[in-house]
Amino acid sequence: MAQQVLSRVLLPAKSSFEQVGSMMLLTAQTIVAAIRPPYPYGEELVGQFLFALKLCWFPLLVSTFVLCFGAPGLQAANALSLFGAMDRLGGFFVLAAIRQIGPIVTAVVVAGVAGTAITADLGARKIREELDALQVLGVDPVKNLVVPRFLALMLITGLLDAYALVFGLAGGILVELIYQQPLGGFFATLSSNASIADLWGSVVMCTLFGAIIAIVCCYKGMTATGGAAGVGRAVNQAVVISFLGVFAFLYVFTAVLLATNPELQAIR
Amino acid sequence: MIGWLDAPRGWLDSFGEIARFGARVAGLVYSGRVFGFFGESLRQAGILILGSALVIWVFVFILGLQCGILGAYLFRAQGAPGYAGLFSAWCDLREALPYAFGYILSAKVGTGIVAELGAMRISDEIDALEVMGIEPVTFLAATRLLAAWIAFPFIYLVGIAVMYSASWLAVVEQVGDVSSGGYLLIFWMFQNPPDLIYSLVKGMAMATVIVLVGCYYGYTARGGPVGVGAATAQSMVVNIILVHIVGMLGTVVFWGANPRAPIGG
Repeated sequence: MAQQVLSRVLLPAKSSFEQVGSMMLLTAQTIVAAIRPPYPYGEELVGQFLFALKLCWFPLLVSTFVLCFGAPGLQAANALSLFGAMDRLGGFFVLAAIRQIGPIVTAVVVAGVAGTAITADLGARKIREELDALQVLGVDPVKNLVVPRFLALMLITGLLDAYALVFGLAGGILVELIYQQPLGGFFATLSSNASIADLWGSVVMCTLFGAIIAIVCCYKGMTATGGAAGVGRAVNQAVVISFLGVFAFLYVFTAVLLATNPELQAIR
Repeated sequence: MIGWLDAPRGWLDSFGEIARFGARVAGLVYSGRVFGFFGESLRQAGILILGSALVIWVFVFILGLQCGILGAYLFRAQGAPGYAGLFSAWCDLREALPYAFGYILSAKVGTGIVAELGAMRISDEIDALEVMGIEPVTFLAATRLLAAWIAFPFIYLVGIAVMYSASWLAVVEQVGDVSSGGYLLIFWMFQNPPDLIYSLVKGMAMATVIVLVGCYYGYTARGGPVGVGAATAQSMVVNIILVHIVGMLGTVVFWGANPRAPIGG
């Protein structure tokens, strides 16, 4: 009985630790392969970048606009309109949209849209034994498949973040218009509260999110086994692990950023 | 330029198909046909609880910590650290929990259903069910929807408790500007039972949408292992958009014109 319980608890724990370890190894291999010449991955990098951009732009546009309109927009406007201080919504949007929701939604959309597509693609290649064939031909799959995806996702997540911020702020502007407020107050508190640390924090955080998502999705795709059900299962696990990884990292990053940059906490 | 618009147009097309399929499945549950397979529904509910509950709670816990530190630092800056409870009460219950639930459900449950049903579809098991005289939509899709309605309200309610304790940990133990009693006073002042019901309705609407989308993409998967992977990825895209839209509509309907806050008259 005790052994049964132990094996039910310990075996999954062991295998998940092994997976985390393998992902770390893949990260190290990817970084080394990215730096060490030759650089054969240029074309693939551009292709993957455009592929991710094509998949992500529309979900990201809808998601950020709608989320920023609802969550920080309407809820905060509820409280602020009680005090008659609707212009303060701009200051709140620095905290809500720039520091949190922009990166969160960008990560969720990139993981859910581009990450799943990468896992499905690599998983299908693994199942059809194309990856093994590449290795036989002397082509390194890490250098030629993982590195371009890793760099492309890092780049695109960071850049899409700026795009998410624009549409997030548009959600806030819509709330101001619904409450029939002049927009001057919104922009005044927005620009007086926004600091450069907010912006670089947001973009750097997103770039690192892209790295996490790319490694998890490539790893799950390249280790898919078991035919049709296997590819689907790999996609499922990839997106769950990316979400957990991204949000755990988000918490650590936000706590460190807020605790080490006291100027972010001043209300101006 | 045309190429960039193709994808959204395709999604609009499939949105109509999904709505039709979803209405059919919901009709099967409401008309009671699904109770012919009640045992299968209970089995699916068991799978949901054993397979997904822990992941959901871990995810919700992390977001609870996040809401906590944000609220603590926001109100420290205002010079009113005691009011951190206001932010975490609204952030936890009204927004973050439904969205967290929607995200992790579409990742874990939605894509899981697509992978499972898609594998059944391309290995012709769904056709085999039909040959055996079992209606596949009822047996595969309607039972899963009923299972979601049985299991998820309870998982959601426990998730609320998990999230509240995470926020308490972050505000009181991690940042530590306010005492536990002071935090909880404000925290409970800014929420009431109807808020809980609204939040639950929001979360369950997301769960329903996600299960239906998953069933649709799994049920209509084609094109071998590659097709299943592609369908799984595609379901995630649709789910992300729908989760956000349902969340926004919930906010507008429940709290749009009524702050439900004990401030002023």
